[in-house]
Amino acid sequence: MTTATGPKVGVTLYSFTNEFLTRQFELDTLLAEVAKRKLGPNIEIIGFQSFREFPDVSDAFAEQFQQMMADTGLNPVSCAINSDRFLKPGQQPIEDAALVEYHKRQLRSAKKLGFQLVRYQFALPVHLLPEVAPYAEELDIRMGVEVHAPMWAGHPAVQAYGEMYDKLNTPYLGWIPDFGGTASRIPESMLDAARAKGAKEDLLNKLKEVWLQDGQSYEKAGRLREWGMAHGHEPLHIQAACLAFFILSNHDPKSWAALVDRTIHIHGKFYGVSEDLVEEAIDYDTILRLFKDGGFTGTMVSEWEGHAYDMRDAFEQVRRHQAMARRVWGPDA
Amino acid sequence: MLPVERVIGEEGLAASGSGVKLAMRLPWYRSLPFSVVEVASLEVDGRAVDLSDAQIEYNGESWPLAENGEKVDTFWFIRDSSFLVLPSLALPVDSEHEVALNLFVSPPYIPGMKRVNPQTDTLRVAA
Repeated sequence: MTTATGPKVGVTLYSFTNEFLTRQFELDTLLAEVAKRKLGPNIEIIGFQSFREFPDVSDAFAEQFQQMMADTGLNPVSCAINSDRFLKPGQQPIEDAALVEYHKRQLRSAKKLGFQLVRYQFALPVHLLPEVAPYAEELDIRMGVEVHAPMWAGHPAVQAYGEMYDKLNTPYLGWIPDFGGTASRIPESMLDAARAKGAKEDLLNKLKEVWLQDGQSYEKAGRLREWGMAHGHEPLHIQAACLAFFILSNHDPKSWAALVDRTIHIHGKFYGVSEDLVEEAIDYDTILRLFKDGGFTGTMVSEWEGHAYDMRDAFEQVRRHQAMARRVWGPDA
Repeated sequence: MLPVERVIGEEGLAASGSGVKLAMRLPWYRSLPFSVVEVASLEVDGRAVDLSDAQIEYNGESWPLAENGEKVDTFWFIRDSSFLVLPSLALPVDSEHEVALNLFVSPPYIPGMKRVNPQTDTLRVAA
């Protein structure tokens, strides 16, 4: 048994979405590239991105995958699963029993593939946790709910989950902070991408203003859409600008302190790290110190989301992000 | 759409029986059930195509486009093309056409989000 000594870095294959979707890499060649560039060994994989058979992987595929891990020396830490509750747009969500079964299928697959934990989502209603948690215990796989923008430690849904976590009192349930929830600003590279698509400066100024307001992502997107349409902006420019509402919000970086104790894994969300190792929108110095001082010993996977709007070299971005983390956490991270 | 996203698949347009079929890609970062994808519109050379007899073909299966909303447990793998089969759209092999396809995607874990994904391309009908 290894002794946890401190936080570690790793990477999610989500950072390489563009390379994967354009068929530049297969799963095995992408894993080999990650290993070759020493961006592992700890990795996260989105089940529904990388595994054709998800949510039900076969024994044969699980064997192949474990062979890929053995060949590359990578360590399958986290499998991101999805709480797909709204399978029929515009209609009622699926029945609770069906949603619980949907989670169980993905938990079985993640376990079979050798992952230590899964990332799940708040779309799973809190009252279903008592039905899902015992299954995770039985399989011996931990579950971390992703606290993703617009959520943050003080969000009512996070508090409701926290109360249920206290009640169930099991080490199998925890948090996965995503730092996009505590961005200090909208990344300039994201605004530049909207400009490159033709978005006008007054639309982007309005975006920055609405982004700082309270409300759900889709409400804020609605506000910007209404304003933009009334001021003659193109629907596609408005859609490009609205991306920010769904992936970023500007809560206090120090607010993560409330969640450190039950944090089992971290999404190191980022948009652009400069050559001198500074992230353009997220205050990593404050956040990483907070988790280290709080005793976090899990993995932070580098999650480059700049791919949602530009084509920079994802591998280089991840290398810089990990170097930035080691500047704060030390060379052993 | 993301910089690399596309809705018109690499395989383009091809003759299929008496009509044609059009390759489609899923404009998202992960696989989704077909039920959350809607073919909002298709135009060929500026004219709307009647989709009432269209079929979806994917991974050895096919079903009427009209039933796509029921496909909650058939997942469109993010790397694969699916095909929109149009039995009544007769286009000569080797002819070129401007094709405009728009897919709506409603991610099933983000309530209230519906993305429009238009793409226009000039395609040659393969045999």
